[in-house]
Amino acid sequence: MSVGRLAGPLRAGTQPSGARLRSRPATVGARLAWLYLVSRRVPAAAAVIAGCAAGLRIALIAPWDAYGALQLPLVFETVAATVVVACSASPFGEPERVAGRHLPWLRVVTAMALSAAAVGAFAAAGAGAHLSGGTLDVLRNVLGIVGLGLICAAAVGASVAWAGPTSYLVVGVYALYTQWHGPALTTPWIWPARPPHDIGAALCAGLVFVAGTVLVTIRGARDRSGQHG
Amino acid sequence: MIAPQSLGAGRPSPSARRWPVPTAARLMRLELRHNAMPWLLPLAVALFGVITYRKMLAMPPFWYVRAASTQSGVVLDFIMPVAGAAAWMGSREARRRVADLLETVARPRFARLLAIWAATSCWAVAGCLLCLAAAYWATSQRASWGGPLWWPAAVAVASMPAFAALGLGAGVLVPSRFTAPVVTIAAFFVMVLTTELIVGSQSYWQISPIVSAPWDVGPDLGVATFYPYLPDLSIAQVMFLAGLTVAVVAAAAGLPRVSGPRRLRIAAAVAATAGLLTAGTAVGLAGTGTLGAHGMIAIPALHDAADDRPLQFTVCSRTAIPVCLNPAYAADLPAAASALGPVLSEVAGVPGAPVRIIQSGTTYLQGSRNQVAISLAGPVVSGTPPVYHFLLPDQLGGLQLSPVQLRAVLRSGTGPSIIASVVGDGPGASAAQRAVAAALLLAAGAPDKVLAAGTVSGVQAQGTPVDRSVPSRGRRVPGAGRGSIPAPVFAAALRFKALPASARHAWLVRNLAALRAGRIALAQLP
Repeated sequence: MSVGRLAGPLRAGTQPSGARLRSRPATVGARLAWLYLVSRRVPAAAAVIAGCAAGLRIALIAPWDAYGALQLPLVFETVAATVVVACSASPFGEPERVAGRHLPWLRVVTAMALSAAAVGAFAAAGAGAHLSGGTLDVLRNVLGIVGLGLICAAAVGASVAWAGPTSYLVVGVYALYTQWHGPALTTPWIWPARPPHDIGAALCAGLVFVAGTVLVTIRGARDRSGQHG
Repeated sequence: MIAPQSLGAGRPSPSARRWPVPTAARLMRLELRHNAMPWLLPLAVALFGVITYRKMLAMPPFWYVRAASTQSGVVLDFIMPVAGAAAWMGSREARRRVADLLETVARPRFARLLAIWAATSCWAVAGCLLCLAAAYWATSQRASWGGPLWWPAAVAVASMPAFAALGLGAGVLVPSRFTAPVVTIAAFFVMVLTTELIVGSQSYWQISPIVSAPWDVGPDLGVATFYPYLPDLSIAQVMFLAGLTVAVVAAAAGLPRVSGPRRLRIAAAVAATAGLLTAGTAVGLAGTGTLGAHGMIAIPALHDAADDRPLQFTVCSRTAIPVCLNPAYAADLPAAASALGPVLSEVAGVPGAPVRIIQSGTTYLQGSRNQVAISLAGPVVSGTPPVYHFLLPDQLGGLQLSPVQLRAVLRSGTGPSIIASVVGDGPGASAAQRAVAAALLLAAGAPDKVLAAGTVSGVQAQGTPVDRSVPSRGRRVPGAGRGSIPAPVFAAALRFKALPASARHAWLVRNLAALRAGRIALAQLP
C-alpha cells in the first residue's frame, strides 16, 4: 500500500487543521494506529484467521483417524501464525522508521493482539468439538510458531518469513507421525509433538515467542525495498 | 524483476555478439538468477535430510521400500518451498507494481510467466534430483540385489513443475503478502490429509504423488522382490501431474486478456483443456486400480501381464538340504542356515524329506475397507521331489529382526514345521509321530523344557509367518496346533533321541512311510 493511498482520506475535504488535531490527540493517535494496521493488512489478516478458525471447526465435524486428528489443528495454527508474521512487513521501509516514534509499540501490540486473536479463535472453534490437545496446545503452538516466524522476519524479511513456520510445520507433522512409527522425536524444541502439559515444550515455545517479539519490536522486520502488497 | 533493457534493448555485449543467444534463453537465464527457489532450496534439502533421508537409512536396503519411501518424502519435503517460491515469484509484478510497465516490453505476459515457472521448476527439479541421487546412492551401497526403480523417482520429479504451476497460478491470481504462506500450507494440507480419504485399493485419491504404494500396506519388504515392480500407479500419477501442470500454467499465464495476442490465448485454452482431460483421465485410471496379489496397485488399462511372472533368483546355503532365499534377503541367509541347519541334518536323505527349503513370496488380498490379508503364496510343500516353502518374518509387515531374533524365530517356528511335514506330525497325528517329531527337534537342539511343557506350538503360532498366514487361505501346516506332549510320548521321544544319529536316520529311512501312515505304535519306537 502506498503512502498516497493511506494519506488520501486525510487530504479529502474533511482534513482537520493542525489546531484541531492538536486539540484532539486521542483521535489522531487512533487514526494513526488504524493507518498502521491497514498498512500491515491487519484487517485482512484477521479475516484469514477467522477463516482458519471456521475451517478448523468445519474440519472437526468430519471423522479423522489418529494422524489426522493430531495434525489437523497444527496445520490451521501454522496458517494463522504465518499470517500474523506477514503483518510485520512494512510497505514504507526506512522513511517510516525515521519518522515513526511509536513503531516499536505498534509492532509489539499488533503481533500480540493478532496472536491472541488466533488463539482465541481456535479455542472458540474447538469448543464443543474434539480438538486434539485442547486450548493449551493451541496456545503453545500458535505462540511458538509466531515467535519462530518473527525471528525469521527479523532475519530475512517478513515477506518471506513464511518459509520458517511452514518448514517447521513439516517437521512438526513428522514428529507427530513418529509417535507411532519410532524412533520418536521427543525434543521439546519440536513442541507440537509434545503433550499439552509438557513444561519443557511450553518453555521452548514461550522462549521462541519472546525472542521473536523482542526482535521485531526493537528492530522490526527486515525491509526489502520495493515490496508491496 | 525483468528490466526492459535486459531483453535486447541497447547495445549487445561483445560476448553476445560472438555467441548470439536467443531472447528466450536470456530471459530464462535472468529468471534463473533472480528466482526465489535457490534461496529456499537449502531449506528443502535440509528437510529431506532431517526427515526423509534419515528415515530411509533406517529402512532395510530394499530398492522398492526405499524408493517408495523416498518418493513420498521428497514430495512432502519440496511441496512447500516450491509452491511458496512459485507463488512469491508469480505475484512479483503486482508486488513491485510494475505490471503496467511490463506491458510495454517486447515479450508478452505469457512468456514472462512461463519463464518464471520454468526457472522455478528447474531449480526445484535440480534439488529434487540431488536428493534422489543421495537416496539412491545410499541404497545402492547396501542393497544386495535389484536395481534402482525409476518410476518413483519420475513421480517425485514430475511433482516439482506441478507444484510450481499451482504456486504460480495462485500468485498471479491473488497477489498478496498472504498468498505464498496460505498456498504452501493449503498444498501441504491437501497432499497430506486427503490420504485420509483413501479407503481400500480402489480410490481416486491414490493419484496423489505422496501415495507410492497401496496405502493400506505401505512399502512392504516382500513387494517388488519376488515379482517385478508394477509402474501402473506411477504412470497414472505422472500423467496426472503433467496434465495438471499444463492446465494450470496455460490457464494462469495464457488465458487472461493481457497475456498476449488472441492466437496465443486460443492456444493456451486448448492446452488447458488438454491438460485437464489428461489429468482427469489419470484420476479415472487411478480409480480403477486394485491391489494385486503381488502387493502393488494394478491398473487394468496400464497393466503389462508380463509383470505378473515371478522372478526366479535365489541364493542357497550349503546345508544338508539347501536353504534358498531371494537375493534381496541374502543378508539373512547365514542366520537362516544356522537356524535350520541342525533340523535339516536330521531329515536330509529321508524319503519324503524336502530337497530344498525355498523362501516364497507373499500374496496380498484386500479385505473390507482398509484391511489387507498377507499370506504365503502357494502351498507349503509342493512338487516331486518335495520342496518346502516358507516366509521370513519381515515379509509379513512385522518389525525388522536382528540376526539373533531371526535365528530364534526360525528355530522355533520353521524348524518344527519342516520336521512335522516330514513325519506327518500335526493335529490327528499318532503318538509315535509326535514322539519322533519331538525327538528330532530335541536332537536338533530344541530345549527339553520347551518341548516337555508343550509350548513349542505356542511359540510356533506366534513366531512363524507360515502359521499366521495359512488360516487365511484355509491351508494347514503340518505340526501346527499341537498341544502339550504327554509324558509317555515325551519319554519315547527322549529314548529315540538318545540313539546315535546314524541309527535314527536308518530307522527313519526304513520306517518313515509306515510312520506317516500311522501304522507304527509308540511302543515300536526304538
